[in-house]
Amino acid sequence: MKEFMMIFIGPSYEEIGLSPEQLQERMGRWFAWGDKMTKQGILRGGKALHAKGKRISGPGRTVSDGPFVESKELVGGFYIVEAESFEDVVVIAQDFPDYDLDGGVEIREVIKFS
Amino acid sequence: MAENKMVDHLFRHQYGKMIAILTNFFGLPHLELVEDAVQDTFIKATLLWRAEQPENPEAWLMQAAKNRVIDLLRQIKAEKDRFHKLDTESTQEQLDELFLDHEVEDSQLRMIFVACHPALSPEEQIAFALKTISGFSMKEIAAALLIKDETIKKRLVRARKTIIDQKIEFAWPEPHQVESRLDGVMQVIYLIFNEGFHSTRAEKLIDQDLCGEALRLCKLLLKKERFRSGSLYALFALLCFHASRLESKISPENEIVDLGQQDRSKWYMPLILLGNNALSMAMGYPDYSAYHLEAAIAHEHIRAIRFENTDWQRILELYQELNEIQPSDSGRLNLAIVHLQINQLQEAKILLDAISSGGLQQRNYLLHGCYAEYFHLAGQREEALQQIQLAIEASSNELEKNYLLKKKAKIAGKA
Repeated sequence: MKEFMMIFIGPSYEEIGLSPEQLQERMGRWFAWGDKMTKQGILRGGKALHAKGKRISGPGRTVSDGPFVESKELVGGFYIVEAESFEDVVVIAQDFPDYDLDGGVEIREVIKFS
Repeated sequence: MAENKMVDHLFRHQYGKMIAILTNFFGLPHLELVEDAVQDTFIKATLLWRAEQPENPEAWLMQAAKNRVIDLLRQIKAEKDRFHKLDTESTQEQLDELFLDHEVEDSQLRMIFVACHPALSPEEQIAFALKTISGFSMKEIAAALLIKDETIKKRLVRARKTIIDQKIEFAWPEPHQVESRLDGVMQVIYLIFNEGFHSTRAEKLIDQDLCGEALRLCKLLLKKERFRSGSLYALFALLCFHASRLESKISPENEIVDLGQQDRSKWYMPLILLGNNALSMAMGYPDYSAYHLEAAIAHEHIRAIRFENTDWQRILELYQELNEIQPSDSGRLNLAIVHLQINQLQEAKILLDAISSGGLQQRNYLLHGCYAEYFHLAGQREEALQQIQLAIEASSNELEKNYLLKKKAKIAGKA
């Protein structure tokens, strides 16, 4: 079995001004998705990320303050799931809750050394 | 992963509580800061809880709110002087006290009195109450009241400015003012409810939210013995009776169902019982108000097992009394409708003619609809059709239009 990372890209909730009711509704959808994957036994982990960050780059190890991209393209978090193929993960990712906010999912296969 | 432990509207209600507690601590001049901080807490929870939901979400949010107080104290240390007495170890103690249940309720009640302060216009009061107490966003208020976002924003800004300019305090009204201030609060609750109840839009959810909020605020006031009065109980009874048939007003096919056609077995019994109880409580107080009469009218409708069993004579008397103590165009319209029900056409016509054109605003289509019914019953087909056409043109949405088109077909076919 292979592992894949689903990387969530989209606007941060701070930016778009969701109401408490909308936040709760959206959270309910994240719960439902997480529960579904847990029941299927495919969820291997995941985290949500703050928008703010730092970046260290180049030979000079230059430190700069993020965010580094437009808010639409922010990485908001990730899940790692076990699946047979990319096609299977595309199916899993259908339940990602934030497509309607112009969010999206990037799927990458985890490299295994064995 | 944990199952969803959250009750409906937890965030929305928790928002109102947190705003009230923190405002009690920091004072109204810091309201905007407090609102941002609370909003921020919810966003954090939304992201954090994805991985793991806390055992007790409500307690988690309250703890987060407490932590925010400490953060905010640092943020506004420029004003440290004002808070120096809180900046010691007693802060934690004071904080814990503020978060006790009865204190939370007190804070929310104070916020209701702030929202309904006579220095704010009625429109500002409603917008401010929905935002600050009920946790509606600007967009949600705009959608609920069918008003532009921009207008709501202006009202909220004006309300906040007035509160600061006039140094309105986060305090109980003075004892000698309680009665008149309560009148204002009840008026706002009544208006919020009516926005939900009389709307005929397709999105039932928004209407239920508005009605639910009005009921919640009313219940909160009733918890305090010193605010209880015949009027407050009567208002609560009225809201319960109306709310019990909220579901039956619009059919599953999204069509307006009038009182005569509603499936009375679907009226929500627990609310009716609450209403009955509140109405009898109302009678135990010396004061008497329009709410008593409106509740009694609603009760008459609820009491009738079938539409045919409605005691129109009794309802007529109640409406007449209501119209005497509180004359209004919508009162005249209601009275006219009752006269039509019992075939007193001339009486109905006189009342309808006394209504100023445009006086009912977005519900003006009802006036034309009522005229149409009058002419229909009087056998004046042409005039009836003319009026129903005017009603259709004055209606503000598809649901109303479809309802009136059906009525038009009926008039055209029958004559």
